[in-house]
Amino acid sequence: MSERFIRAISANEIAPGGMKAVELNGSEIVICNCSGKYYAIQRRCGHMNAPLEMGTLDGIYLTCPMHCAQFDITNGEALSGPVPSDIGHEIPPPLLGKYLQNIGILMKQVRTESIRTYETKLKDGWIQIRL
Amino acid sequence: MSKCGVVNIESRKKSLHYFFEKLVVPLGFKFTPDKNMMNFLLKQEVILEGRHGIPFCPCQPLRHDRARDMQIVCPCIPFHRKHFDDIKRCWCGLFVHKDVLDPDKLPQLPPKEVNNE
Repeated sequence: MSERFIRAISANEIAPGGMKAVELNGSEIVICNCSGKYYAIQRRCGHMNAPLEMGTLDGIYLTCPMHCAQFDITNGEALSGPVPSDIGHEIPPPLLGKYLQNIGILMKQVRTESIRTYETKLKDGWIQIRL
Repeated sequence: MSKCGVVNIESRKKSLHYFFEKLVVPLGFKFTPDKNMMNFLLKQEVILEGRHGIPFCPCQPLRHDRARDMQIVCPCIPFHRKHFDDIKRCWCGLFVHKDVLDPDKLPQLPPKEVNNE
C-alpha cells in the first residue's frame, strides 16, 4: 500500500468550517477545515453513500445531508444512524405507499458504518493527504 | 430505522453534549452540575436514539403521535419553557437554569401548581 503524501488543494480554498470534495488517485475524499486544522475523510457516507461535503460541519462533527447520520471527522467514527423521516398524515397514493413501505423494510437492514479518514499535513500552503 | 454499526456510547454522549450546549445556553440554561446525573441521562438518550433514531427525553413516555413526540426531543426546553422557567430545570433534570448551583434543592412542582392552571 502506498504511503506517500499527495498534494490536494491550496489551504485557502476552504474557509474555516468549510468542506471540499477532491478526487485523488481514484479516491473520493472530503477535506474539512475545522478552525484551521485540516481533516480528510472518505467522501461517501457510511450509511447510504451520500456525498458528505454537501452536509453540515459543526466543530468536528459532520452531519450527512441525506438522512442526518453523524460522524466525528477526527477519527471517522459513526456517532448516530439516520433520523427517521416524517411523511406527515397524508396517505400516499397506493403505488407510492407500497414503494415507501418496501424502502422502509430495506432501510431497516442498512447499517451506518464508520468512515475512513486520511492523514493530512500542510506544506507551503498546500494541503497534502497520505494515500 | 437502521442501526448505527458501531455505537460508542461515550463518543455519542460527548457529541450530544456539544450540540445541546449550543442550544440551551442561549435559552438561559446549562447542564446540571451533578455530573453523575448528567452522564446517566445522556447515556439514556444515546440508548433511546439507538432505538428510535432520535434522542428523546428519557423521563417522558413516547405516545407514537409524531407531533407530541417531537415535543420531547431533547433539549425540549422551547416546548415547555413556562414550566421549566418556574421550576428552574427541565423535567428530567439534565438542564437547569444558569444560576442554579444545587439542583437537589429545586422543588419539583407540577405545571398546575406553578401556573395556576
